[in-house]
Amino acid sequence: MPVESPMLHAVAVGSVDDGKSTLIGRLLYETGHLNADEIAHVEEASRKRGRKFLDLALLTDGLRAEREQGITIDVAYRSFDADGRRILLGDAPGHEQYTRNMVTAAAGADVAILLVDAMNGLTSQTRRHLAICAMLGVEDVIACVNKIDLVGYDEGRFTELAHELIAASQAVDGPRITAIPLSALEGINITQRSEKLPWYSGPTVLEVLHDLDRPIADEAFRMPVQWVTRYDEGGADVRALAGRITSGTVRVGDEVVALPGGSTSTVSAIDVLGEPRDMASAPLSVALHLATDIDVSRGDVIAPVDDPPQVAARVRATIAWLDEAPLTAPSRLEVRQSARLVPAIVEELHERLDLDAMRNEQADALEANDLGIATLLLAQPLAVQPYAVNREMGSMVLVDPGSNRTVGAVMVTEVLAG
Amino acid sequence: MSTLTELGTLDVLEAEAVHIIRECAAECERPVLLFSGGKDSIVLAHLATKAFTPAGLPFPLMHVDTGHNFPEVIEYRDWYVQEIDERLIVASVEESIAAGRVQDETGPRASRNRLQTTTLLDAIAEHQFDACFGGARRDEERARAKERVFSHRDMFGQWDPRNQRPEPWGIYNTKLRKGEHFRVFPLSNWTEVDIWAYIQREGLRLPSIYFAHEREVFTRDGMLMAAADFVERLPGEEVSTATVRFRTVGDATCTACTLSTAGTVEQVLAETRESDVSERGASRADDRTSEAAMEDRKRGGYF
Repeated sequence: MPVESPMLHAVAVGSVDDGKSTLIGRLLYETGHLNADEIAHVEEASRKRGRKFLDLALLTDGLRAEREQGITIDVAYRSFDADGRRILLGDAPGHEQYTRNMVTAAAGADVAILLVDAMNGLTSQTRRHLAICAMLGVEDVIACVNKIDLVGYDEGRFTELAHELIAASQAVDGPRITAIPLSALEGINITQRSEKLPWYSGPTVLEVLHDLDRPIADEAFRMPVQWVTRYDEGGADVRALAGRITSGTVRVGDEVVALPGGSTSTVSAIDVLGEPRDMASAPLSVALHLATDIDVSRGDVIAPVDDPPQVAARVRATIAWLDEAPLTAPSRLEVRQSARLVPAIVEELHERLDLDAMRNEQADALEANDLGIATLLLAQPLAVQPYAVNREMGSMVLVDPGSNRTVGAVMVTEVLAG
Repeated sequence: MSTLTELGTLDVLEAEAVHIIRECAAECERPVLLFSGGKDSIVLAHLATKAFTPAGLPFPLMHVDTGHNFPEVIEYRDWYVQEIDERLIVASVEESIAAGRVQDETGPRASRNRLQTTTLLDAIAEHQFDACFGGARRDEERARAKERVFSHRDMFGQWDPRNQRPEPWGIYNTKLRKGEHFRVFPLSNWTEVDIWAYIQREGLRLPSIYFAHEREVFTRDGMLMAAADFVERLPGEEVSTATVRFRTVGDATCTACTLSTAGTVEQVLAETRESDVSERGASRADDRTSEAAMEDRKRGGYF
């Protein structure tokens, strides 16, 4: 039986004014993750702004400029429990810099909470968010049809929007949709149902989060080496390979290969932070002992001999460009993939994705918040796989060696020869 | 749905923290772990020792000592460093005052909390540290919820919240210019309850002031403050004896305690789960000065 992940990464996305902050405030409040003093703070902040009600949106707006301007600048992270399952929720603002922030918050997310205004219906931003979810491999979306109170709790309107959402996601080969009629303001269907929606028998937001299937360790074993631990044991110089298992399971006796070098050996012992084990799975941090002393250093990937990732110095990839200065080709940058940093050249820019028209177009440059397809040439070969096959092996960030800024997020679509 | 039991939230949080600690140790040239003797830094130091076991830590610990600490915490600090057999650097606010780098505040509300920033930044420059591990958590405070795991500081120690480096998929950009540094937060995604649950699971020893004890206290701004020699009292602030414990451990001038009879980790954990007041709300006078008190201090190089 597969083991379900005890922790889910969720991301909340939506347009401005569709009630996202209120929904998050509600989730924290109703799961008991807001304390009296925090509520008192929200009350005071609400009064200062002349609100007649408890404006839970003020809770998540953390920085001075955000409160002054009533906007959300950056991604905020919140933790709460859904009946024993930990939810780590990234709150991505829905402003002009949305792609940058949404990629930051949604990369690695298991589920997205997407808000749609019941009166306004789907917007072009809703479709963009679904397309980005599809690209980032977010498999599930909880589509909250919010402000259902403002359309008279109408079942017909909800059903119509639910169908539109499912069709919109299918159009981009996107995530599974669970649509929920909701009122963030009145607290309907977040953790509790309401008599005002007698026609709705589906789950609340919290129930979906608790029940979501997210099996861990069902992929091939991979472990990027972070650190080679050396110590003396009875006069012998012992070496252990410390790292975090990014996917799959490793067992004592497994035949493994260290890539890109290609040396092979057998796992002789597994140490989970001081405790010996016969096996260990993602996402644990471990130290592996090998039967023979092979050439392994930081950045190498340990994988099963019979199911290794590819090794390549050229990849085709989707790039989410995050920097103000545009990307043109050719461009000299650096690629960081798990524990390795290598110089890279963006050889060719193939297309820019037009998320509004849902098609690709020729482009000479990617501006901030653009998504595009490019070919990257790496200074040294890396162990790599398409993002759709293995997230950790197929994700990278681009660093500008001049400014040291993180300028792009990379999802490998194809591993190329040469 | 299949079983959730084999791997718990604490296992995942522990694995993530160890990954961050190893990443920083591998990438940064001179990291240091900020150790106050408070529960979060004790958990952090414990995770660091587990990350490199059976080898020792590849970096020292550093305490920014305000000189206004609780003696129980200093005693604990010295015991702990000996116990794990690692190196401790003490950066002293009193020395910064003596050297004329900062001026001690005076009056009943005097605190050395703000002065710590200068001492910390001076120590970072003196030892050429390029990364400081801190025990801060995102659930502590609104500004912290927005901070990255590898949080960049410029040459002046300043945090620029509008210009943070994205960390998609937990891939950290660890590049620095000379004179800049990172504050690295392995406990970012932990909650106060997680900290206590982990202390219980790992059987960690804590300074005695975290547990119920009798103490001379007085009330200020609705909070119970310890009646220490170096805290001047305002008219009407009467000292009485109460059974209390501390939820956080900081400078004694701005750290309040709460009425409690919880004498064991189990009892504290039960109280924390039931608590209706946040940790900083209950015990940090320094956060009450304004809506953006923490943000402003962080921008200036505070912890």
